[in-house]
Amino acid sequence: MPDRASPQTPKTKATSARASSSTITLPHLVRLAILIAMDASAVWILNRFFSLGYYPLAAATLLILIFVNIILLHRETYPIRWMLVGLVLMAMFTIYPIIFTTWVSFTNYGEGHLITKEQAIEQILKEKYLPETGKAYTWTAFKSPEGDYVLWLQNVDGDGFLAAPGESLTQPQPGESGVGEFDSKGIPETIEGYKRLNAILAATDQNLTQIQFGEIANSIQIRSPKEASELLPLYNYDLGQDAMISQETGAIYRNIRGTFSSQDGTQLRPGFVASIQFANFREFFVSPALRGPLLRIITWNFAFALFSLLLNFALGLAIAILFNDQNFPLKKLIRSLLIVPYTVPALLTILIWRGMLNPELGVISRGLENLFGWSPSWFTDQWWAKVAVLLINLWLSYPYFMLICSGALQSISQDYYAAAQVDGANIWQQFWQITLPLLLVAVGPLLIASFVFNFNNFNLIYIFNAGGPPMAGTPTPAGHTDILISYVYNLAFTASRGVNYGFAAAITIVIFFIVGAITLFQFRYTNMWEEVSENV
Amino acid sequence: MKKLSIILIVALSLVMLLSACGDTAEPTEEPMVEATMVPEVATEEPAAAEPTEVPATEVPVVPTEVPATEEPMATLTIWADDTRTPILLGLADDFLAEYNVELIVEDLGRVQDIRSQIIIAAPAGEGPDIYIGVHDWLGALVESGLVAPVDLGDKTDEFVQSNLDAFTFTDGNLYGLPYSSENLGFFYNTELVPEPPTTWDEVLEIGRTLQGEGLVEYAIAVATGPLYNALPIQTAFGGYIFGVDENGAWNADDVGLDSEGEIAAVTWMADAVAEGLMVETFDYETAHSLFETGQIPFLMAGPWALDRIRASEVPYAVADSFPDNGAPFLGVQGFMINPFSENVLLAQAFLTEFIATEELMQLLYETGLRPSSFKSVLAMTDDPDLKAMGTAGANAMPMPNIPEMGSVWSAADNGIALAVTGEQTPEEAMTDAAEQVRALIRGALVGMINLPGSYQDQAGCGAQWDPACPATGMEEGDDGLFTLTVQLAAGDYEFKVALDGDWTTNYGSDGAQDGPNYVLSLAADSTVTLTYDPATQLVEIVTE
Repeated sequence: MPDRASPQTPKTKATSARASSSTITLPHLVRLAILIAMDASAVWILNRFFSLGYYPLAAATLLILIFVNIILLHRETYPIRWMLVGLVLMAMFTIYPIIFTTWVSFTNYGEGHLITKEQAIEQILKEKYLPETGKAYTWTAFKSPEGDYVLWLQNVDGDGFLAAPGESLTQPQPGESGVGEFDSKGIPETIEGYKRLNAILAATDQNLTQIQFGEIANSIQIRSPKEASELLPLYNYDLGQDAMISQETGAIYRNIRGTFSSQDGTQLRPGFVASIQFANFREFFVSPALRGPLLRIITWNFAFALFSLLLNFALGLAIAILFNDQNFPLKKLIRSLLIVPYTVPALLTILIWRGMLNPELGVISRGLENLFGWSPSWFTDQWWAKVAVLLINLWLSYPYFMLICSGALQSISQDYYAAAQVDGANIWQQFWQITLPLLLVAVGPLLIASFVFNFNNFNLIYIFNAGGPPMAGTPTPAGHTDILISYVYNLAFTASRGVNYGFAAAITIVIFFIVGAITLFQFRYTNMWEEVSENV
Repeated sequence: MKKLSIILIVALSLVMLLSACGDTAEPTEEPMVEATMVPEVATEEPAAAEPTEVPATEVPVVPTEVPATEEPMATLTIWADDTRTPILLGLADDFLAEYNVELIVEDLGRVQDIRSQIIIAAPAGEGPDIYIGVHDWLGALVESGLVAPVDLGDKTDEFVQSNLDAFTFTDGNLYGLPYSSENLGFFYNTELVPEPPTTWDEVLEIGRTLQGEGLVEYAIAVATGPLYNALPIQTAFGGYIFGVDENGAWNADDVGLDSEGEIAAVTWMADAVAEGLMVETFDYETAHSLFETGQIPFLMAGPWALDRIRASEVPYAVADSFPDNGAPFLGVQGFMINPFSENVLLAQAFLTEFIATEELMQLLYETGLRPSSFKSVLAMTDDPDLKAMGTAGANAMPMPNIPEMGSVWSAADNGIALAVTGEQTPEEAMTDAAEQVRALIRGALVGMINLPGSYQDQAGCGAQWDPACPATGMEEGDDGLFTLTVQLAAGDYEFKVALDGDWTTNYGSDGAQDGPNYVLSLAADSTVTLTYDPATQLVEIVTE
């Protein structure tokens, strides 16, 4: 209040800043206190993010924090505070995912390349090998109250050895060097100064695997609950070459797109996430293997979205016009019933239709069979499958168009129709010249939204027949009712070796541009309609 | 005042937002913190709590000597499915009492759902120590570094060998502790067919007769996914998916979908469909409903369907073998260890000491109703249907656990579907399917001829010796020869020929697979034109 009321809120920034700082009031202080409290908690969260290694998330949070502070502290930007929550949410849930998706699309992130390079190097460096002279033992651990460890080792012949870190192995008998009586397996019950650990206690001890027992030159390490052996690291990482070098064979494994590969093609597992530049995009557009069915799928994709839109809109509009007639009997009841398909979850509806069209068990198929001795192969014939998909979509979507058209029809003034009747226009002329143009002004943007929705209507396609029936003779598995998104889903998540997030992200971006272009193009059209409305 | 309230609202919503962030971050923190810091907490907490808080008279005395008995030494987290979670939870008290380790079991729903969670959670350090999975995930998991080897020690002998084999990867390591296996069985309607048929032709013969008498609609129906659900037909005719190399490991270069036997099997199915003896669509619901209502006399189904078949009260029996001794797929479920776990050794010990016991294996068998992987429990299996399935699955083929198997499923299912609907001849359909699989396995770079070598950094590649670098891909001329021209600085270089963007097929300077490198010595900076002849597999080097 005081801010706005104060007489010195001039346009110039410098004076306004000085003015506001000169009049510090209670609301100011409260505001500042809240901001400080918020910043403090945000800094704490940032700290957590950093310590957990979530650097991108931390960076994003930091940016948002700075942004919020600037807006709340700066006089010029202060009015934006009304949109602050919206802007922050948009940054977190829209912009951040977009950036992340873009980043993923330039990597090989996917099965085989899921972990970071550091994680992969760490795992590979953990691999050990048993040199020719190396020996393997079974082990039992003993721990002193001070936290020192010794191992009792037994070789394949059952001979027992005592191993302490940094000392050479000894072969004491019971009574020697504090070793107590042997049990049935030849393991001493006690060792003076140490407590014997049972299997689980030894396994829970995270220090044990780190300790190298015996002499430095051929030290012995625990490598499984049963075995300890003179193991050496199998690989050495050479930072300069960015390569793994095998200590056993001397082979060099260079980092090629997220996998350490040798010259003869052997690859070290695991691979890791790495940038592969435009390879995902190139694969989609250039590779003959994937390009094959793409044209047919895109054609059907457009046809599906367009026909869905036209059919659903036409039926919805027709019903709306019927009910727009005041004299229609039982209007309310029938209209309520007609909305029912819209209220049932689409997923269930698709499953029910799937069941009804089932050629062996389905009501519709059996009924047609009994009546005409023939029923369409809804699942195995490509044209009938396409018809079925459109039919189900019609069932799912006409109530929506019926609802919005009913509303829009109410808003068209009856005067136009009266005038048209005076001019001698018939029903059809009235529809084409008055109803439709005026209706499209209102529902045009909804039609675009519906087109875009159907363009990516994954649920319907995938649940009904998983894109089937299959296309013959394609270089990659594809189906006749597959739309772009379901085809890509198959390619990226089921058709090849596990998931391929990088590829999926790249295609998502391509689809985003396709849909964006369509939307832009269609918005131009709706502009034209608006001009029409101005002229009417 | 109005302004203040607005600020408050904004601030509140921001705080809520921030706390929402905190919430989402919480689960991520917990396992890591617990796992890494518990030992310290156990010792530090009493020390920190005592002096700062009100003197010891007030505070319930924290024994400084035995914090270990109060605070569990460590935690072990298991991800399991809804059937196994309660059983594993039953171990928690014993485990805590005996070894002072807290066991946390999280129910992730279905077994299949665990995989998609693991591949996200494990690399981020949020995964469990142990998780349940199916053996055919191995290839992808090992390649991604998301599963650690398991050492069963002296318990190895107590497990069914075929189940252990399923969890053994091509590198020879065992990657899981198996607990149950499952495979299809051959169900027949005992009212319609007193004795099970011994050949697939007999299946059709019986179906034909029954159909003629108007007793059944079809002879047989196959559930969704004919590759899996009709495998006993395919193997009976000699079809296969991947060949095996001399060591018995799967050989992804040998795709058997267009083999003679496979085509014969698909032809048999297509003929059966054409004659109206087999249902044209492969659908789980259709196949099972038809069998349960007595409209088909034969069905291939797994132990998962036993409950519903029994509930339908159709008179049935499970045959001791498939017609023509066809082999079904074997799927083995087991416990796997997350290599990112802080407690890999503890997890191993838990598996061998607590899971690999007859008592627990018996419980897992009873609730899961799948043949056990534990020999002594398997021997006591009393369910006649499971026993019959086990006998029929004696020759079962473990689902190949190599990552390449992922490329097979939809291609093969599509091929079979195209053949039985008559869209393509069985031969065309299966040849296409096999080609699709080969293309998917080799990746998108099929047809690329490349010259990977030590010169590639000068040709614009990101790495040396990269067989898929687009900058050194050769271009085909009208004469059928492939050429590549590069500008190189003076120096010594080596390279090789590699096909299809990887090293699987590569030729050396003698024109032979895996041959020696080509050597190229340049005294001065020069333009080098390399010409590859596919007929001789040799490269000609011209320096200008």
